[in-house]
Amino acid sequence: MAMVKTEPECRWERRLTTSESIIMGFHEDSGMCSAGTCMADGCVEEPVLLYPHGLKGLHSLQALVPSLLRHEVEIALEKLGLTLDRMYAWEMFLDMMKSQTRNSFPNADLPRNFTDATRAILVDWIIQVHEMMHFQEETLYLAIHLLNYSLRQIKVTTANLQLLGMVCLFLAAKKEESHLPEVSELCYLMDHTYTKHQLLRMERKVLYGLKFDLSYCPPLHFLLLFASIARCSAMVVWMARYLLELSLLEGQCVVFLPAQLAGAALCLARQVLQEPPTAEGEAAWCLASSIHAGSETTLLRVMHILASAAAKAHTQETCATFSKFSSPETLHVSRHPGLKNAPGLLGVCT
Amino acid sequence: MAHGTSIQYEPVAEIGGGAYGTVYKARDTESGQFVALKSVRVQTDQNGLPISTVREVALLRRLEQFDHPNVVRLMDVCATQRSDQETKVTLVFEHVDQDLKTYLERAPAPGLSPDRIKDLMKQLLCGLAFLHSNRVMHRDLKPENILVTSQGQVKLADFGLARIYSCHMALTPVVVTLWYRPPEVLLQSSYATPVDIWSTGCIFAEMFRRKPLFCGESEMDQLGKIFEVIGLPPEEEWPTDVTLSRKNFPPLTARPIKDFVPEINEQGAQLLLKMLTFDPLKRISSLNALEHPYFCDEETSTQTKS
Repeated sequence: MAMVKTEPECRWERRLTTSESIIMGFHEDSGMCSAGTCMADGCVEEPVLLYPHGLKGLHSLQALVPSLLRHEVEIALEKLGLTLDRMYAWEMFLDMMKSQTRNSFPNADLPRNFTDATRAILVDWIIQVHEMMHFQEETLYLAIHLLNYSLRQIKVTTANLQLLGMVCLFLAAKKEESHLPEVSELCYLMDHTYTKHQLLRMERKVLYGLKFDLSYCPPLHFLLLFASIARCSAMVVWMARYLLELSLLEGQCVVFLPAQLAGAALCLARQVLQEPPTAEGEAAWCLASSIHAGSETTLLRVMHILASAAAKAHTQETCATFSKFSSPETLHVSRHPGLKNAPGLLGVCT
Repeated sequence: MAHGTSIQYEPVAEIGGGAYGTVYKARDTESGQFVALKSVRVQTDQNGLPISTVREVALLRRLEQFDHPNVVRLMDVCATQRSDQETKVTLVFEHVDQDLKTYLERAPAPGLSPDRIKDLMKQLLCGLAFLHSNRVMHRDLKPENILVTSQGQVKLADFGLARIYSCHMALTPVVVTLWYRPPEVLLQSSYATPVDIWSTGCIFAEMFRRKPLFCGESEMDQLGKIFEVIGLPPEEEWPTDVTLSRKNFPPLTARPIKDFVPEINEQGAQLLLKMLTFDPLKRISSLNALEHPYFCDEETSTQTKS
């Protein structure tokens, strides 16, 4: 109880300013490791940009970047409807960058009896139910996060795995949606394998197990934010959204931060589509890249995972995401021929 | 689950029967620390725990991650299934044994020094700005739920609980104090984060006066007392969505705020008036209040010299 007296508001202000180290090249920074990026890699890496050659040598531009970026972030968050008041937008962005560091896991290990394949089948099923319910995309990302979290926090038998998946989707909907399905409807969707009573009991088990911690900074928000700042084309954004959703099926992706997944999906989408560059587009991409999403090594690792997932997506049993993104509304991105040799674009995989 | 709470947290004393139910001081048997337990019974229907409870508790958990120095720590959340229809949710907060009310009562004779008041106000606004930037309003700010640690650190408590408890509250006939309520709440108009700034203004004045600024006994009486100080607002500022007419009040004009808070300095009086502004849209925000000249140190030193 007897703590050293600190001036509280100063401590708080200090915390905010250190978060500004998310802007690359502005701070000669080592503190970034504490933010979790290096932790995820298990080693200390030299931080690099989303776009590695972006700002090298441009010192005068570099000095401009923080205010320019701040302005762009504020506009983008407002445009995306993620903030109600531009006055608080930059603080909100700093909060997003900071709080996302709690949203990855130290390793991809699953409890005994569960394999990545079982998990992928369950995730694929959740994606289908989610689509059928016409829920928002945030709800899906939150549901899968809650699933990953619960699998590590509470004991569930294989027989109850589907029930757990449904409850995670139900809880995510309670957090995000304005219209909720009836519990009986959910039971019907599971062919009445479980009773309503069992479902509600599982809901309590998950909530208590997670201590009501349902906060999550979805990678989708980072994706839309980066894409908005980078002025990406609709095609690039749809491709990146597809690749990002594929990451949900990959158990090994849980070790990466939401911003890393988003950054990698966007980079890969650009590489796959190879749209002809414009001066304005490159400058905007350069600015978006000054947000430190992750080290080059980390981003490449994620890109490799996503590229190989995309290359084999159409042959998999778990193909709900593939079908979803083959529709005309999504510009048929999942059927893009460039995805077949996406891993080749990135060179030899290690 | 049921045993979880009772084993880890050993009740020591009942520390209040607030509007939202009994609050217990307890000892955390794992850490030896004292905690404050606030429980609420939540009705669960056939769709499980209510959305409002799920969202509000999740929000408190999220705010906790930022570890803000001027907000009381939420250490744990426990839930106990009472029956199929009822769940008890217990929020475990850090325990601070002094609130601003007792702090003011304990202050020796001439009251708090102007610098001490400024420091308390700065911390209070800092905590409020944090809540407001996270789109959380307190709604029931008063000296009793502003905690002051023995090191003089201000910590806001009981924020965001209003909605968690709302279903429970309807069943509890308790007297909720009106003294810190802003006009828009008393008039039952729509309200948002400016409500907390009004309450902060009332508390600011109380720190100098060592007694509340507006002690109304009913909604009407409270509004009357407010208008005696700030004057009856012009017709165009009167909210249109309320049943109570402006004509019910005598046409009072504003009186100098220093008549009511004589010890306050010039900048302090200016800030206070900006907080006690009738129109919530014209009322100062917590972030802007922190940038007010009142908090500028150079200004104070010239003030004290003169």
